[in-house]
Amino acid sequence: MRQPSHTAVSRRHLLAGAALAGAASALPAPRRAAAQSKAITYWNGLTGADGKVMDELLDRFTRETGVKVEQQRLPWADLYAKLQVSVPAGEGPDLALIHTVEVPHFASDGILEPIDDAALAAAGMRGEDYLPATWQGGVYEGKRYSLPLDVPQHILYLNAKVMKDAGLVAADGRPRVPGSRDELVSMAKRIAKGDTYGFAIGTVGPGRYTWGFHNLLWQNGANIFAKDLKRAGVTEPAALEVAEFWGALEAQHKIAPPANANCRDAFTAGRLGMWIAGSWNFTGLREAKVDFTVAPVPRLFKQPVVWAMPHQYSFPKPKAADRARREAAWAHVRWMTDHVAEWTLKAGQVSASRKSHTDPRITGDPVLKTLLAQAPNWQVGQSTPRWVAAENVTRPVIESVYTGQRAARAGMEELARQINALPD
Amino acid sequence: MGAARQRRRQTRAAYLLLAPGLTLFVVFRVYPLLEGLRLSFTNARLGRATAAFVGLDNYARLLADTRFHVSLVNTAFYAVASTVPILLLPLLLALALNRGALRTLLRSVFFFPFTLSVVTVGLAWLWLLDPVVGPFNYYLRALGVPTRSWLADPQTAMWAIIATTVWWVTGYYLVVYLAGLQDIPRELYEAAALDGAGGARSFVAITLPLLRPVLLFVVVTHVIGSFQLFGQVFVLTGGGPGDATRTVVQHLFETAFQNFFQFGLASAMAWVLFAVILVFSLVQFRLLRGHTEY
Repeated sequence: MRQPSHTAVSRRHLLAGAALAGAASALPAPRRAAAQSKAITYWNGLTGADGKVMDELLDRFTRETGVKVEQQRLPWADLYAKLQVSVPAGEGPDLALIHTVEVPHFASDGILEPIDDAALAAAGMRGEDYLPATWQGGVYEGKRYSLPLDVPQHILYLNAKVMKDAGLVAADGRPRVPGSRDELVSMAKRIAKGDTYGFAIGTVGPGRYTWGFHNLLWQNGANIFAKDLKRAGVTEPAALEVAEFWGALEAQHKIAPPANANCRDAFTAGRLGMWIAGSWNFTGLREAKVDFTVAPVPRLFKQPVVWAMPHQYSFPKPKAADRARREAAWAHVRWMTDHVAEWTLKAGQVSASRKSHTDPRITGDPVLKTLLAQAPNWQVGQSTPRWVAAENVTRPVIESVYTGQRAARAGMEELARQINALPD
Repeated sequence: MGAARQRRRQTRAAYLLLAPGLTLFVVFRVYPLLEGLRLSFTNARLGRATAAFVGLDNYARLLADTRFHVSLVNTAFYAVASTVPILLLPLLLALALNRGALRTLLRSVFFFPFTLSVVTVGLAWLWLLDPVVGPFNYYLRALGVPTRSWLADPQTAMWAIIATTVWWVTGYYLVVYLAGLQDIPRELYEAAALDGAGGARSFVAITLPLLRPVLLFVVVTHVIGSFQLFGQVFVLTGGGPGDATRTVVQHLFETAFQNFFQFGLASAMAWVLFAVILVFSLVQFRLLRGHTEY
């Protein structure tokens, strides 16, 4: 590392410095930040194929702005625990990518720095440029703590070969799409034979896939917490109806794989016909050359709600304010917003900002087009600091319902008891 | 006078030499232990600056926490059920490999799994036992044997974890047993043979008694390790299906790092676990101590 020199400052140096400072202040904000801070730390949980895409984009960002990004990538759960530990110790990153549902508890624990309107205006970020559900997800108790990047969400994947083998093709030769819960079950029963399954929801471990369970709850107008966000809402009749369906998938209908199955591998291997799973899977399926089509998440209950979980950029609280590093972090957020079409095309995640939504490369892609069309039906988790802890206790309970260890009602009563016992 | 000064100097030197080790022990072992005890009487949450003293509230919560009770029962079941294969299988292998031409090669082969990390072992077995695309079920189907989802069935999930652990650690205990067997003087077997004792009689009268310290070591370390079971469960089942394989450390981990970072409550769990391990270890020492020479 180069040591600072201690030579005396001459008038010529002083004038040159003043000229440089004047020139720097004339640069647009990101460029200026790049000139001031040469490195930022950035933590994210993009451990899948999207991580490689992020690496490429970060390299380009560094080449174009001169800001080096020291990235730490770890599984999301570990990332959140690490943030909770390191930020109060003053060892947090300059920038962190988190899921929307993490915002309330991190905000309430003082882990994230609020983003004021002046900072937004300076960065040129406006709510009207974003899809409302994603923009609102960064707000907790009236204050903004994060900015949306993209919208991981559910979609229905249909394995063309499996569907064809089961005779489930429409007149145009494409796989048939179920229009209701009953139709889904009857179609799945036609597929399910031996070690081939008709329907699954979830990537790995469908029994404990909370995001799928949430999706179905929301479709039926139910939720984890009651409207007051204090008591559990899972014993309400609409939630019980969903739990009954959840418990019947494997045990009664015999259409879904076992609770711990790897549904992605099963779908890739042609052992699964209809699969509701995350949008992040489709680039991998293409790489594996799986013959599949997609459709919007079918309406299995009262409303065609689609689970969504926007990634959000956040600024963890630093030990001491460092304007240059913060501006460099902002520069990265701005740069990604400007290049979000490439992120969408390569990582397969629809952007939260509307900028790229009319890009012909995106509207011309059948999967991305379907994902975008689901936007009016997106729903995210409830805005309470207890959401994530509630999700953690939900996992084993819904698995016990899925495997038949507990009846649906008993499971939901147990879940309500555990959720209500969570500390405030 | 001179001898006393010499002794004092030696004592000072001994303490000086011990100091680095003792310092590390106090900083990294004793202090966290006591800090954990202090936290167990508070409502500390990771990331929050303040924590209030709550007395025995956390311990009272554990008395009412049915999932903690389930995890204690599961952990005890694992400790007991896995001890028999962990005691016997490596011992049988050690007896077989104590002599023979290929013993060095076979010892290495059996020891190899133990060189793998728990995550590697877990992920490998997760794939092997995958109910849909895993090779284990594939070959069972090919043989016409009924298959099941070993890790998602509450009847078999814990047994699958035990099988994975036995596969993983057998090589380690095998080496421990072999070291014990090779410490037994050969003359004893020769004398027994001259007296007409057969293989089984020699095993019961010579091998087992002289292996007693090794058996004690294996049982105590395995039981302590069993009560700290976490990695295999975390990777293979996440405590499921439902809570069928939830162990105390899994529950503690989730309480501390996932469910609201409740460090106070998690510390109370850790101290209850410590007490349980202490009791089990003392009982084992008492049961197996007789006639053991160290």
